[in-house]
Amino acid sequence: MRKQFIIGAVAAIAVALFPAVSSSPAMADDAAFATCTDLASCGGMNALIKAAQAEGSLNITTVLRNWADYGDAIDSFQAAFGIHINDDNPDGSSAYEINSIKTAPAASAPDVVDIGASHIADAMTGSKTGGSLFAPYKVATWNDIPSLWKDPAGYWFGNYAGQIVIGYDSKLKVHPTKVKDLLNPAFKKVVGIAGDPTGAQEALMTVFTASVANGGSLDNVQKGADFFHQLKTIGNLSGANADSTHIATGNPKVWFDWSFNALGTQQAGAQIGKTFYYVKPSDAGILGTPYIFGISATAPHPAAARLWVEFMMSENKGHLAKDLAGDEATNVANGSLDGAKLFNSLMGGQNIFTLGGAIPIEQVAMAKKKVLVPSPSSIFQSNPAADKLTLQQPSVAQQAAATTLLKTLWPKI
Amino acid sequence: MSNTSVSNAPTQKLGRSVRPDFTILGILPFLALIGYFFFYPIAVVFNRSIRDSHSHLSLTTYKALFSGDYRAAFIGSFELAAYSMAISAVIGAAICVALVKTHGNTKRVISAVAGVLTSTGGIPLAFSFIAAFGQEGLVTKALLKIFHWDIYAGAFDIYNFWGILLVYCFFQAPLMVIIFTPAVENLKVEWQEANETLGGTRLQYFRNVTIPVLFPAFLSSCLLLFASGFSAYATAAAMSNGTIPLVPLVIGNLVDGNVIAGEANQGDALAMGMIFVSIIVFALYAVVLRIARKK
Amino acid sequence: MKRGLRLGDRIILIAAGFFFITPFLAAGEYSLRGYGGKGHTWANYTWIFKQLGFGPALFTSLRIAALSVALLLVLMIPTVVYVQLGGRRWARLVEILCLLPIVIPVVSLAIGAQVAMPKALQSTSYELCFFYVIVAMPYVYRALDIGLQSIPLQTLVEASQSLGASWFTTLRRVILPAIASAMTGALFITIALTLGEYTLASLLHFRTFPTWVTNVSQENILGAVALSVATLVGAWLILLILAFIPKFKRNRKGVLAHG
Repeated sequence: MRKQFIIGAVAAIAVALFPAVSSSPAMADDAAFATCTDLASCGGMNALIKAAQAEGSLNITTVLRNWADYGDAIDSFQAAFGIHINDDNPDGSSAYEINSIKTAPAASAPDVVDIGASHIADAMTGSKTGGSLFAPYKVATWNDIPSLWKDPAGYWFGNYAGQIVIGYDSKLKVHPTKVKDLLNPAFKKVVGIAGDPTGAQEALMTVFTASVANGGSLDNVQKGADFFHQLKTIGNLSGANADSTHIATGNPKVWFDWSFNALGTQQAGAQIGKTFYYVKPSDAGILGTPYIFGISATAPHPAAARLWVEFMMSENKGHLAKDLAGDEATNVANGSLDGAKLFNSLMGGQNIFTLGGAIPIEQVAMAKKKVLVPSPSSIFQSNPAADKLTLQQPSVAQQAAATTLLKTLWPKI
Repeated sequence: MSNTSVSNAPTQKLGRSVRPDFTILGILPFLALIGYFFFYPIAVVFNRSIRDSHSHLSLTTYKALFSGDYRAAFIGSFELAAYSMAISAVIGAAICVALVKTHGNTKRVISAVAGVLTSTGGIPLAFSFIAAFGQEGLVTKALLKIFHWDIYAGAFDIYNFWGILLVYCFFQAPLMVIIFTPAVENLKVEWQEANETLGGTRLQYFRNVTIPVLFPAFLSSCLLLFASGFSAYATAAAMSNGTIPLVPLVIGNLVDGNVIAGEANQGDALAMGMIFVSIIVFALYAVVLRIARKK
Repeated sequence: MKRGLRLGDRIILIAAGFFFITPFLAAGEYSLRGYGGKGHTWANYTWIFKQLGFGPALFTSLRIAALSVALLLVLMIPTVVYVQLGGRRWARLVEILCLLPIVIPVVSLAIGAQVAMPKALQSTSYELCFFYVIVAMPYVYRALDIGLQSIPLQTLVEASQSLGASWFTTLRRVILPAIASAMTGALFITIALTLGEYTLASLLHFRTFPTWVTNVSQENILGAVALSVATLVGAWLILLILAFIPKFKRNRKGVLAHG
């Protein structure tokens, strides 16, 4: 209660002391928000929030709540601005997102998509005229995004990445600490991978991890495929997909996972009375290619879309949904609360990703500015050898080469 | 519906008929629906399959079908479909035979149950099997506790080919029951009694009456089972993580995946490949049927 | 006069029963587990009803199921009857056309539908009814075909017509009762299929009961299992009710006849 009182007091003082910040030429026409390319040309944060609230809802797609702590981001955004978020097909794929922009009717068309890096080229040439499906927009924190992971014109930009880590059931007698440990006969039938590397990003990055752990490189993942072939031959490789449901039901018992899925899986384990441990492997530190944001050029809610990416790329340290009073949205709408101030008081998306165990794309800049929240260290078992590793990240080209190779190798696993 | 065979007969017997054949009007609604809601989407799929990544007409996708990358998937799918068809057909037929002898209520309940069982698929079915036969499944634990038999100590695994086959039989066998029951019901008890009065044994009855009468229906039911097992997608996706290659899963990776982009045309070609394989099976079925009917 | 069940038949039915019910029992046991795996409770089932959107999603699926079944029967029964009577030359064509939908993986059909179907149609969940008709068609055609071939259709129709019945009356009072078991089988498959179908519904952006279940139970594994079990049990209940309706109707007619 005290926190809320303080927020309210600060807000009241802010409103009292500073003249209500009226944005520059009010963007009365919502269509204008479909083409503005940054916060300034959209009329400023308050105008953007106002337009977004007028639109009333936001369509996102293939977002799982316990994936990189998206759940907190969704709750915060909804509670703070009163904009309802529609999440279409949470368990969908990047291809589904691109197809949705192209073919879905307006009610279900996504405003913003979060796709794998291998789909950038497809999205950039996918419109009916062969142009980009996205609308260019440079968020306020644009300069903090590494140039490798953003489009110079602003059509797409990275948001977060994950490290491939090893999860395992705490009841196992042998606790793995590195990739090569998985060859242990104690893990017969229970070593899991999260799908097919030609179909799931996580599985692909797992093969990269196995490759590096076995003396291979990012350029050639042959050794990674060989490792899994070996796992299968000795009978360790499980046929079960390494997702929460399968893990919870007992197979696999040791698996590769994104660092940002750890919390969600541990939560699922708690529901059925199991404890899962996670450890960063000490023989390979692989950061996956980041996921990519793009605002649909035909977004049904263009202002809400831009507000959402501003929020998700924001570096602020602040409040989550549970810290909010609940009346912020109405107060912003009727003008008694400054929208920009509210925005700045919220925990930014980049920090929410960090809380979820992901590595935000702006991490380096944020660490310099000292605005990065500490990542939850309790998730991972201590493994000093792993912490000493420099993380390697494949490029889009290396990812493409690996995919081509695995198309031939994986069926022979 | 006035085009009965009686009124058409004279015209046809006269040889060449000038009148166009209006009998097709009878199936026009059917053709319209299947044309718009099936063939039109498939035409879109086909159109994309004969183009390359720049939308130019090309057969590169079809050439790739023979490259060997997809051979394992086709073999895997074919084996799964064939095995599940064979096992489910036998089990289903046995259940049918037992079923026709039951009375009204039991039959109704079992019929309803079969309908639900055969439509169970995807994640609910996969989960139920894992909950029963998985590493920590109810049956697994019961067998361990009661008979001290650890089924996972050996080669058994609900996630390998034979485990997935078990799951497939679960929804294939009830399908057989539903489809095949009307034919078995057609075997009149009077024939059996006639056979007995004439002094024939049950084996003779089986060979000379049951098999010839039921064979066409049995075969066509098998065909349906094969096709259904070949293209099952949701259950395969829920049960396997890709370490068992199956064509529907490969198609899923290409048209609805997270890694491969811009190769949906290859996925479409694979779907066309599945149609092609099935057409071959259909042709075989037609040939076998013709031979059986002649006899 | 049918012979009773012999020992062999009983064994088959009981063994089959065991095989088919075991997975559901296992899933049911799982769904009754309490939080943390401790004990058993109904909590997961009560959780279902508290979730936002339960009613609308369920109603949507039921509505789609009913319409799909209606459309399917109205389309297929006359077609199959016609093909066996006057349209014999189209029999092979219709048979092959009906088998094709089962050969295509649903995901490819959905991808094609995303592009082919006009956006106006894609905005309404009635689009799904048509696709479910397509998906159920192979099973329904086969059931009806085998059922109609098992009866002396030509004779029955000619007899009925010579007694002065119209086509509609013949259909309703002669043919349908004769193929009752085939028709109920077809009906049951269709309903169960439309209530549990996930791939098409999710790829075409619809919020039916199965897609709603996946959405709402993202963070609740036990709830997800309870929902799956509830869906299956619900489908069974619906089918059982439908299975016994003809019996109730017949009983009433009997009373009237004697009354």
